[in-house]
Amino acid sequence: MSELKPTLKEIITPSNKEVIVIGEQINGEIKPVTLELLGIGKDLANKLNGKLSCVILGYNIHSLPSKLIAYGADTVYLADNKLLENYQTLPYRRVIIDLLSGFPLPPHILLLGSTTCGRDLAPRIAAYFETGLTADCTELDIGPYEHTNKIDPEKLGLYPNCLYAIRPSFGESLKARILGPWKNPQMATVRPGIMLPLKPDFNRKGNIENIMINLKPEDYRSEILEVIYEVSKGVSITEADVVIAGGFGLGKSEGFDLLRELANCFNHSAIGASRKVVDVGWIPYKHQVGQTGKTVRPKLYIACGISGAIQHRVGMNKSNLIIAINKDIDAPIFKFAHHGIVGDLYQIIPEFITQLKLIKYNKEDKILVKQD
Amino acid sequence: MAGINNIFVLIKQVPDQSAKAGINPDGTIDRAKAKRMLNPFDRYALQAALHTKKHYGGKVTAITMGPPAAVEILLEALEHGVDIGYILSDKRLAASDTLATAYALYKVIKHIGDFDLIFCGLQTTDGDTAQVGPQIAERLELSQATYCEDFRIEESSIITKRVIEGGSQWIKMTIPALITVANSYHPLEYKSLRGARMVQHLLRSEEEKSKYIKFLNLDDIGADPIKCGLRGSPTIVARTDKVSEIGGSCLIRKGEPVNKMVVDLLSNSNILEHIKQ
Ligand SMILES: Cc1cc2nc3c(=O)[nH]c(=O)nc-3n(C[C@H](O)[C@H](O)[C@H](O)COP(=O)(O)OP(=O)(O)OC[C@H]3O[C@@H](n4cnc5c(N)ncnc54)[C@H](O)[C@@H]3O)c2cc1C
Ligand SMILES: Nc1ncnc2c1ncn2[C@@H]1O[C@H](COP(=O)(O)O)[C@@H](O)[C@H]1O
Repeated sequence: MSELKPTLKEIITPSNKEVIVIGEQINGEIKPVTLELLGIGKDLANKLNGKLSCVILGYNIHSLPSKLIAYGADTVYLADNKLLENYQTLPYRRVIIDLLSGFPLPPHILLLGSTTCGRDLAPRIAAYFETGLTADCTELDIGPYEHTNKIDPEKLGLYPNCLYAIRPSFGESLKARILGPWKNPQMATVRPGIMLPLKPDFNRKGNIENIMINLKPEDYRSEILEVIYEVSKGVSITEADVVIAGGFGLGKSEGFDLLRELANCFNHSAIGASRKVVDVGWIPYKHQVGQTGKTVRPKLYIACGISGAIQHRVGMNKSNLIIAINKDIDAPIFKFAHHGIVGDLYQIIPEFITQLKLIKYNKEDKILVKQD
Repeated sequence: MAGINNIFVLIKQVPDQSAKAGINPDGTIDRAKAKRMLNPFDRYALQAALHTKKHYGGKVTAITMGPPAAVEILLEALEHGVDIGYILSDKRLAASDTLATAYALYKVIKHIGDFDLIFCGLQTTDGDTAQVGPQIAERLELSQATYCEDFRIEESSIITKRVIEGGSQWIKMTIPALITVANSYHPLEYKSLRGARMVQHLLRSEEEKSKYIKFLNLDDIGADPIKCGLRGSPTIVARTDKVSEIGGSCLIRKGEPVNKMVVDLLSNSNILEHIKQ
């Protein structure tokens, strides 16, 4: 006996269709991830037929809203106050919770960068509103969802406009699509360096709304004593165009001197490392690339003596061009690098450096010119 | 001497992904077959808790939520010098997302009682969200510091160094507070002989064991079952896809003179676009 599947009733969870990006700035400079979020946020807002907004907090930041509008925001909620000069959990939490609580209907989607600040703040906001939050997404989309699981009958239904929060799971061997259409805002943090910003249009018009700030005594339970920015001589690995990364195959910490020499042949380069060499203390943690280190997406990534374990791969496999130097042809790195040389890095890298110094490259004609 | 009395540390048992056992062909994990281990990030949290006890006093309580087998990590924690362990285990917790997990752990903490500091790992290797710690802090209305790699306690404050992009911040918070510990903090020290002996002893007697390991269920802690498990979770995993291996396209040079291989690589890739002129 066959039974007709009853058509699920359509459920629209109340929202104002707004997509809100919580922006980040440091010393009056908008962080790249905020512009990336505006790029993907615009796409989501268009699919929802809603508007895109950006919240920005800080001190002396009146010049930022016009830039955020140029990058796609329709409305900028601005909190410009000495008390908000540097990111701090409790005051930032208060301002954002107050702002959202003042809306007659909640926004549909709330996005934050998967940065040390975004991942600090997003779970607080999600727990306060008891709404869903997906961490560290690499793709976002809007689509329908049919909930047929009888365990919670009150949720049965067809939800038309869900946020699809897509993220790697189990060390990136799986991709999971996570959703939570029962409550708005649907929240996600998004990995930096993956989404593309829109081309800025400085003639775009938008609204700027000032946020009322109403901090309470309990918001002052912590204070920042000091902020230290590492004045590294070079570029940080997340910003570098070229990352020269070393692994356990270097055999000794001095191996990094050779990599530094190679890095010096390139513009805007930095040194990366596998976790194993960080663990043994050959190089500080800030150089670590991977699941428990930084995610990088340089134009060129040269992996020297790195096996290419999944936890390393997830931090660098979005690089435009991946070169692997490894003496083991079965090393997993050769499964996803674009070019490889099998051999001893202590023979190959010096030759590399020699050749790079000899060769002059004519960028216009893309030809190699050997120098005498 | 600063008066630290109670230190809580939250730890989780996770599947050991480096072992092949229990990894299904489709990439999902068969939790019954998979090897289990203490979440590697929680080792740093344990170290932070034990360090606090050593230098500032107090008693360390380890708390976990999971299936009964997760008792293993509580025993491991006792071997390292933790004083007592609590495990929340209840079928109604199945499929909890971070909000539901944080709610349940918050109820456990309330049930156990007063604390000065709560240490969490930065994230788990299976959930991998780094959300549970801050979500507990929100429920408990606590101040928090995430990504901590160093700290000291002065009077009734904890002064912590937290990692931020491009540098670090030193933050001073009044106690009580919740801290998530980065993996750039000190690695967990070896088990203590005393701890190891004690656990040997506990394993011989259920009665002794029950003094150091406390089992809890949702009723014990007065948690609302509707806020737990699948029903209490605002998110669900709607679909998983296996990410295909990208492999096969790598142009590999091997077995030729080094000079030839390097020149070939340089001429046939875009590397030179990036060199200094
Ligand atoms: C929870 C968890 C999180 C992790 N997070 C990270 C992370 O964020 N980042 C990370 O990198 N790892 C991470 N790991 C560790 C990861 O699993 C690997 O252990 C690690 O990446 C291996 O580092 P490696 O490639 O340098 O060393 P190895 O695996 O030892 O590889 C060394 C390679 O060098 C080659 N080699 C040796 N000598 C030479 C030579 N003379 N010339 C050329 N090649 C040579 C060898 O063939 C080998 O392939 C994590 C692991 C876990 C469990
Ligand atoms: N089931 C659990 N039991 C105890 N602690 C947990 C549990 N899940 C998460 N935690 C704590 O929260 C941290 C972050 O976990 P996650 O949000 O899953 O990445 C972990 O390192 C633990 O300290």
